[in-house]
Amino acid sequence: MTLATSSSLYRAVQRRRNRGLLGLYIVVTAFLILYAVLFPGILSVGGFSKFTQNWFPLALVAMAQALLMLNGGITLAIGPMVSLGAVIAATTMGGPLGTFGGFLAVAAAGLCIGAATGAIVALLRLPAIIVTLAGSFIISGVALIMLPRPGGFVPEWLSTLLAGHTPMAFLLLVLILGLWKIFLATPLGLGIYAAGDNPVGAYRSGVPIDRVKIVSFALSGLLAALAGLFVAAQTGSGDPIIGTPFTLNSIAAAVLGGVGFLGGKGTMRGAVCGSLLLSVMINVMFFLGFPPVAQYVAQGLIIVGAVAVPELLGRWRTNR
Amino acid sequence: MSLLKTILRNPPLLTFLLVALVWLVAGLTLRGFGAFGHLRYLLELASVIGIAAAGQTLVILMGGIDLSVGAVITVTAILLPLLSPAWDPTGLVGVVLALAIAIGIGFLNGLGAAVLRVPPIIMTLAMATFLQGVLVLVAGGSAVTVQNPAVILLGQTRPLGVPAGVVLWVVVSAVVLMLIHRMPIGARFLALGANPLAARLSGVSLTRNTLILYSLSGFFAGLAGILLLGMNRQGYVGIGDPYLLTSIAAVVLGGTSILGGRGTYAGTIPGALLLVTTTALITVVNASPGWRSIMFGSLILGLLLISGREARR
Repeated sequence: MTLATSSSLYRAVQRRRNRGLLGLYIVVTAFLILYAVLFPGILSVGGFSKFTQNWFPLALVAMAQALLMLNGGITLAIGPMVSLGAVIAATTMGGPLGTFGGFLAVAAAGLCIGAATGAIVALLRLPAIIVTLAGSFIISGVALIMLPRPGGFVPEWLSTLLAGHTPMAFLLLVLILGLWKIFLATPLGLGIYAAGDNPVGAYRSGVPIDRVKIVSFALSGLLAALAGLFVAAQTGSGDPIIGTPFTLNSIAAAVLGGVGFLGGKGTMRGAVCGSLLLSVMINVMFFLGFPPVAQYVAQGLIIVGAVAVPELLGRWRTNR
Repeated sequence: MSLLKTILRNPPLLTFLLVALVWLVAGLTLRGFGAFGHLRYLLELASVIGIAAAGQTLVILMGGIDLSVGAVITVTAILLPLLSPAWDPTGLVGVVLALAIAIGIGFLNGLGAAVLRVPPIIMTLAMATFLQGVLVLVAGGSAVTVQNPAVILLGQTRPLGVPAGVVLWVVVSAVVLMLIHRMPIGARFLALGANPLAARLSGVSLTRNTLILYSLSGFFAGLAGILLLGMNRQGYVGIGDPYLLTSIAAVVLGGTSILGGRGTYAGTIPGALLLVTTTALITVVNASPGWRSIMFGSLILGLLLISGREARR
C-alpha cells in the first residue's frame, strides 16, 4: 500500500462524511452573521468569551452524545451526569482534596460511571437507551444525596480562569477537538466508527467490540462530567438538577449535526457545529426578547425543520 | 426443568410471576400492603401507565418510539376542562374534543416520521418541546379543576367495587391484544418492525401504517390523560411528565424488544403492575428523594437483567 492510495482513500472517506454538512455550515454562518449584525459586541474579546462560554458545555455534551451515537448507542443520562459533575466539583473543591483533587474526582467519577454503564450495555447485552434511562435515576439520586439543595464552593480564581473575560473556554474546546482527532487515529478510535457502522464486520476484522463500547461510554461520561465542572465554575456553585435540559439538547445538537442513530454515520465536527447552531439560536431568541415559552415552540419547529429539509431536498434531487 | 425453561423463554409470563412474587412477599411482610384497598389502589395507578403504554407498545413494536406521551397526557388533562362546554350535561363533547386533539398530535408525529422522514425519537421529542411551550401559552401555568361529569365519573366510580379506570384498562387491553395478534393490521405493524424493507416490498405501506400507529399512540395517551384527570380532579403543567419514562419502562420490562418486531402487549400489562408495585414499595421504605431515585433506577436495572434481555441479532 503506497502513501498516495491510502491518502486518497482517506480523502474520499472525509468527503463522504462532509457531504451532508455543507448546508449546516451555511446555516450556522448565516446565523452567526445575523448575530454579529444584531449584537456587534460579540466581535470584542469579552463578548466572544461570553458567547463561547455559553456554548462550551453544550458543545461538550453534544460530543458526549455523538461519541455514543457514532458507536450505535445513545445515552439519556447526560443531564444527570452534568449535574453530578457540578455537584462533585462544588463539594470537593472546598475540602481537603483542593481544587486539583476536585477536578480529578470529577474526571474519575465521569470515567467510572461511564465505564460501568458501558460494561452493563456491552457485557450483559441490554439496550443502551433503557440502561441509561435507569442510570439517569441512579445518578441524579446520588447528586441529590451529595448536595440536596444548590450550594457548595468553587474557588473564585477557577471561575475567573474558565468563565472570565478570556476566551479560555474556546481554547479548551479546540484542545479537546484536537485530542479527539488524535484519538481517532488510534485503533480504538477507528473502532468506534467501525463497530457502529458494521458490528459483525468489525468483530470479524479483529476490532474488540465490547472494549470499544466500554471506552466510548467512559469517554462520554468524562465529557459530560467535565461539562458539569464548567457549569459549576460558571455559576460559582453546584446544583443537583442544573444539567436536566442537557439530555435533550445533546441529542438535538448531535442530530442537527448530521449524526445518525444507527451508528457509523456522522462526524464530531458536525455535532459541534450542531451545538453551535442550537446555542446561537437560543442566544438570538433570548436577546430578541422572545418569552421562554416561544423559545420552546421555535426550538421544536427548528429541530424538525433542520432534520426534515435536507431529507426533502435529497429526495427532490433524486426525483428530478 | 422444561417447565422452568418455558417460563424463562416467555417474558410476559415471567414478569407476571415476578409481580405475584413481589405482592406475596410484600403482603406477608409489610402491614397494610396486602389489604384489598391498597391492592385496588395499585391497580388503579397501574391502569394509567398501562393505557399510556398501550400506544407506546404499538409504536415500539414497529421500531419507533414516542417521547411525546407525557406531553400529550398533560395537554389533554389541561385542555379538557377548558374545552368542555357548559351546555353539555354529560361532558362527552369535551372528552371527544380532547381525544380528537390527542389523535391530531399523534397524527402530526406520524406525518413527521413518515413523510418528512424525521427520526421518530427526534420528531416526538420536538413535539414534546413544542407542546410544552404551547401549553404555557394556553393555560398560563396555573392548575385547572375539572367539572366535566363524564371525566369525574370515570375517575371516581367503582361499579361492583372495581374502579372504572381498571375496567377501562381491561377494555383497552382486550382491544390492543386483538389488534396485535388477531387482526391483519397488527401483523403489518410487526412486519414493519422486524424488517421494514421486506415489509414494504411485500406491499405494506410504511406511510399509512406509521400514520395509524402514531395516531393510536396519541389516542391512548389522551385516554390516559383523561383518566388521570378524573382521578386527580386537577390538571396542571407537568402532570404527565412521569408517564413518559414509565410507559417505556413498562414496555421493555414486559420483554418487548426496543428495536421493534418482537413482543406483545401481554408483557406490558405486568410491566406496568411491576413498576407501580416497585414505586409503592419504595414509598413504604420512607427514604429521602435521592435514595428513592437510586432505588428506583437500580430496581429497573435489576428487573431488566431478569426480563429485558435483548437477544443477539
